[in-house]
Amino acid sequence: MKRTWHHPEQPTTGKRYWRSPAELERRSDFLNTLGVEFPGGDTLNEEERENSRREFIKIMGAAAGLMGLASCRRPVVNIMPYANHAEWVIPGKPLLYASAMPRPYGVTPLVVTTYEGRPTHLSGNTLHPLGGGLDAFAQASVLDLYDPQRSQKPMAKGKGAGWGKANETLASISAGAKKAQGAGLAIVVGGTTSPTVHRLLGDIKKAMPQAALYGYEALSRDGAIAAGKAIFGAGVKQVVRLGNAERILALDCDFLGNDPVDGDPVKAFTKGRNPEENGGKMNRLYCLENRYTLTGGMADHRKAVAASLIPLVAAHIAAELGEASAKTLASGCPDSIKAWLKEAIADLKQNAGKSVVIAGSRYGAEVHTLVAAINNALGAFGSTVELVQIAGEQELGTLEDLRKEIAGGKVKTVVSLTGSNLLYDAPDAAGLSADLDKNKVQLVHLGTSLNATARGAALHLPAAHYLEAWSDARAADGTYSVIQPMIQPLYDGVSEIDLLLALLGRKKVGPAEVVVPAATPAGPAPAPAAPAAPVIDAGYAAVRDTFATIAGGMDEDKWNFSLRDGFLKGSAGAAAGAPNLGAVAAIVGQAQAPAALDGTTFEVVLATDSSMLDGRYASNAWLQEAPDPITKLTWDNAAWLASSTFRSLGLKEGQMIKVSVNGNDLVIPAIEAPGHAANSVTIPVGYGQTRLGFVGSKRGFDAYILRKSPGFILTGAKIEKLDEVFELAITQDHNTMEGRAMFREGTAEEFKKTPDFATRHGMDAHIPENISLYKGQVGKKSETNPEGFDYETLHQWGMTIDLSKCIGCTACIVACQSENNIPVVGKDQVRKGRLMQWIRMDRYFAASEWGPDKAASDDVDIEPTAEQLDNAEMVHQPMACQQCESAPCETVCPVNATVHTEEGLNAMAYNRCIGTRYCANNCPYTARRFNWFDYNKRPLDELYWGPLSTPEKTGMRESLQLQKNPNVTVRMRGVIEKCTYCVQRLEAAKIKQKRVQRDSKNFRVPTDSVKVACQQACPAEAIEFGDLADAKSAVNGKKASKRSYTVLKYIGTLPRTSYLARVRNPNPAMPGADKVAAWSAHQS
Amino acid sequence: MGNFFPRWTNWLPLKLAIALVFILAGVTVGVSYYFTPKYTRVGYEPTQPVPFSHKIHAGQLGMDCRYCHSFVEQSGHANVPTNQTCLNCHGVGKGGIRTASPKLEKVQAAAASGKPIEWVKVHKLPDYAYFDHSVHLNRGVSCVSCHGKVKDMEVVRQVEPHSMGWCLDCHRNPESKLRPLDQITNLDYLASDLDRKSFYQGLLDKGVKAEEIAQVIVGENKPAPTAGGIDDLLALAGKTFGKTVSQQEVGTQLKKHWQIQPPETCAACHR
Repeated sequence: MKRTWHHPEQPTTGKRYWRSPAELERRSDFLNTLGVEFPGGDTLNEEERENSRREFIKIMGAAAGLMGLASCRRPVVNIMPYANHAEWVIPGKPLLYASAMPRPYGVTPLVVTTYEGRPTHLSGNTLHPLGGGLDAFAQASVLDLYDPQRSQKPMAKGKGAGWGKANETLASISAGAKKAQGAGLAIVVGGTTSPTVHRLLGDIKKAMPQAALYGYEALSRDGAIAAGKAIFGAGVKQVVRLGNAERILALDCDFLGNDPVDGDPVKAFTKGRNPEENGGKMNRLYCLENRYTLTGGMADHRKAVAASLIPLVAAHIAAELGEASAKTLASGCPDSIKAWLKEAIADLKQNAGKSVVIAGSRYGAEVHTLVAAINNALGAFGSTVELVQIAGEQELGTLEDLRKEIAGGKVKTVVSLTGSNLLYDAPDAAGLSADLDKNKVQLVHLGTSLNATARGAALHLPAAHYLEAWSDARAADGTYSVIQPMIQPLYDGVSEIDLLLALLGRKKVGPAEVVVPAATPAGPAPAPAAPAAPVIDAGYAAVRDTFATIAGGMDEDKWNFSLRDGFLKGSAGAAAGAPNLGAVAAIVGQAQAPAALDGTTFEVVLATDSSMLDGRYASNAWLQEAPDPITKLTWDNAAWLASSTFRSLGLKEGQMIKVSVNGNDLVIPAIEAPGHAANSVTIPVGYGQTRLGFVGSKRGFDAYILRKSPGFILTGAKIEKLDEVFELAITQDHNTMEGRAMFREGTAEEFKKTPDFATRHGMDAHIPENISLYKGQVGKKSETNPEGFDYETLHQWGMTIDLSKCIGCTACIVACQSENNIPVVGKDQVRKGRLMQWIRMDRYFAASEWGPDKAASDDVDIEPTAEQLDNAEMVHQPMACQQCESAPCETVCPVNATVHTEEGLNAMAYNRCIGTRYCANNCPYTARRFNWFDYNKRPLDELYWGPLSTPEKTGMRESLQLQKNPNVTVRMRGVIEKCTYCVQRLEAAKIKQKRVQRDSKNFRVPTDSVKVACQQACPAEAIEFGDLADAKSAVNGKKASKRSYTVLKYIGTLPRTSYLARVRNPNPAMPGADKVAAWSAHQS
Repeated sequence: MGNFFPRWTNWLPLKLAIALVFILAGVTVGVSYYFTPKYTRVGYEPTQPVPFSHKIHAGQLGMDCRYCHSFVEQSGHANVPTNQTCLNCHGVGKGGIRTASPKLEKVQAAAASGKPIEWVKVHKLPDYAYFDHSVHLNRGVSCVSCHGKVKDMEVVRQVEPHSMGWCLDCHRNPESKLRPLDQITNLDYLASDLDRKSFYQGLLDKGVKAEEIAQVIVGENKPAPTAGGIDDLLALAGKTFGKTVSQQEVGTQLKKHWQIQPPETCAACHR
């Protein structure tokens, strides 16, 4: 019997989830995209379409005729074996190495997958005490290695200079500095934690006592460092142990996103978000911030406040907790915030010893001092905050110190090792550049990209990527890791260590000199000469020396174990003494209350960007195209305005505004950001760079030009509306699922009462039995297995995604891109809705309490109030192919290119696909992507030129070919692709099991031994994947959860991916607690 | 008005129709033979840069395939050996065999320069097909099943079509190719050369029950015979398959007791 079903009607009252205000209001511009097969993909009218179709057939006919001639010969393919055996390498098998990625102020422990010596994919090192998943930056960093736009040779003032000249210059700097006792030499390092770098800086200080050392990062932590030094002492780091924290208050600290605190914040935090573990005990997060961040999205209680008020908020909390010196500052804290904080502070106090307050790392010393006082009052030190003594770090001056010295004419040479881009991102970079010129300062720059500093430097050296050179680093808790090179430097890059060694006169940079063997005299063959002693690289030797001092003597076994595990066991720093809170009053006393925000001026917050960080990842195409987790904007930045501001200014999406602050103007497109503080403007930094190739150039607008002094909050800004509208590539309305209830959430209390609340939503509770006409596979059919999959002898793959843990970062998207050879498509194609990423991170805003609909105009269905928009909740839900057991895509494929495997995968045979796109039309989850062009081969800026594209740009760049995963097909034009649960990994796991078992019978892959790329990447451990036929598998445990539900269950597709509903843990005493995670409007 | 068309044209439509049938049939037959790998690929015998003779090494000298293709049981790729492997025997100061042979010039040169020899690939699969050597070799499929008797070839040539249909023939019917694991690289293997007693004893030693073996001998759907031990099995097998061991006999046993389930879904080879 045929059963027809209908999507449930959108209710008119209750809670709604929406992706864009246009969707919420049911505006015509949104509704018009709904019925279109591929929004933006078809811009021709009927007549043009007909003409172009005929044109196409003509050309295809000719092409087909010629094709026959071209394919007569079988091309010769060569096999090139290794000339000599390479240790460990088995051709065709991946080789894994533990290493680490140095980050500003920290390190990310990694496992690198290499194929025949080329790194292709990164994953977290779970052995490391602070290891876990990765974030998008770490995941994408492997692409930087192969970036065709990377700096490849030394440059002098923007012109090519040979390595010989580079070495001469370095030698003369070194000799001159040694002679002058280092006077005039300034070295600027980034937020590096490398003990070898610090040791060599110490050596430089010894050899050249007057050389000056500075630290600079564009996203500076100078305030936190200064506060730390005053209160905890030199070399002491705070490691936040969120695993021990039951109450967390974040003061504009995006510890789940772009502002990582020391520790492993994401894993530790999300461990406390499962209401089914720890006896139902969940942590609780309060969050104050000016804009939505990932942390705000996860918060149980969140309040949007201007960033310039955060010092006052910190002072208020400190004063409430008995810090007398904070009272003056606290008096400025607005009453509305005080009222909101009242219960939160009480909750923190009640849970003293199990609570912690953390502040954004870029705030000034006064905020961090106040937070230390607060944490002390809460008894956090020793439980939720550990103080760790790190030895051997050099004292570094700040950029302001350096500028004073430069202006005073005391500096002759500046050597920049920082990953930041001094002449672009420093406060008043133009002034710095002029100062350098005026005082004839020689700037030596080391970096991987030819950015503004590289072009302006007297000598630029191409830097080695961290996967190319020996180095080391310390994690937040002091654990020591050695960073191993995976590949010879592709362009003879120089590491920081190499450059410091060159300054010390211990090494020459650039390509290793070729040793010419002495000519052998003719005549009888000479006796083979004794093998020459291998030349030991000075950088390698330096790292080993550091290791020896840290490990207490060079022990080869220890060294080898450290390389294997990725860290030196037991090298964490010792616990430091108690904080000295006597210093609080002095620092807080100096703090000045920020200028009050009246209604007419705004504050500008220069925010860390989720794709660029501070601008250093500008030429990383994966990151450029990964949608911002909050705004879903790709390839550009924009000014985020609160809905109320945006609407009162009468702006359109992408309309230009002029932001004026301190006499600097910035013209930038504006976007509406629900949940944003009203008197605040957020502008992500790192954009607007030039001459970085197609990917990095002319993307967005440079917000750094607004600041003339350090600090990231600029008050007193004015906004002026302009007429021009800029075309932004925002993906929030792409692949829309038409507002059907996908996301389910409830509160901890509710979960206790009705644990299965998620399955009682909408139609789920009263769905008629699914009658399938599809015959299915081997195995017995039953009510729970209507398609008859074989659970006895085969694997049955399945996945769960815990929405309670998913924070909405884009790490899984980038990991998937790296593992599955997914191309980037460029901004124009993104605008047409042709993004290829297999995982779509849906970001929903939500607000409850809709009154009865009132039609505001012809165009708008519902008119939300500004208050509702400014206080919207935000949730994330990753969506990829759901691997439906009864898949609608399969039944419409005319060529059987997408079929089911016996193991429950919805497989794709790319070579069979003819590109009808019927499957994409029929997918209710809109999880299929179509290759409109040969994105891998065609230059992205010349996609429409066809065979006329510039020959040098056509074809996949050789360096990018090295990154591709050899186990996954690189798809061509005209083919549909989508998530296949990393089938290459599943096949490899099964083959391995068979290879090991040989003639015995046990072919079930060991429980939970195979991990898919997104699962491995997930820092929150939200994704579980495994064999449903294995009773012991973790995924079975998750599927048994009462929170488990499948999306669009009522259409009977039987997805293999299920979601666990989010549970939030609001404080009932807080204002607005009843609205947090209120049941969705689709509840029955 | 005279007859415009001559008389013979009356039969023209019929003749054309008949001719068309033959032409179509011819084209169909032609395409299905000449345009398929059976014709286009089988017999491909490119000249290699080094005239390495499998006939001498694997045939006359009896070297095992895995001496050179050393990782074939561990990796998806059957690796081509490095220069060092060649020079183990042919190198000065190593085996010292025929070191001055002009045929080895390129090997010596490659060893000196570190540049690899550019061998010409004979057995070529499309990029979207993922074949794994290790799983086949470890599960009773011999080299000879796909590559033919390489040990008799002076120059390696392709003997099987390696088309998808050909792959599936065996995946649907693995018993025709399965053999004991110690016979994998024995290119001359014949099931009839096996000793029936040691074959069955081997299975029993692996922990397979005699009844199960007996069931396979008589066939799945036949009533189960009682078999207590090796002698019963030998008698039963002799009765069913005759005096010598047959491939069917070996293949069905191995398929059953090694649980060989060759995948037939797309995802097995296409990713």
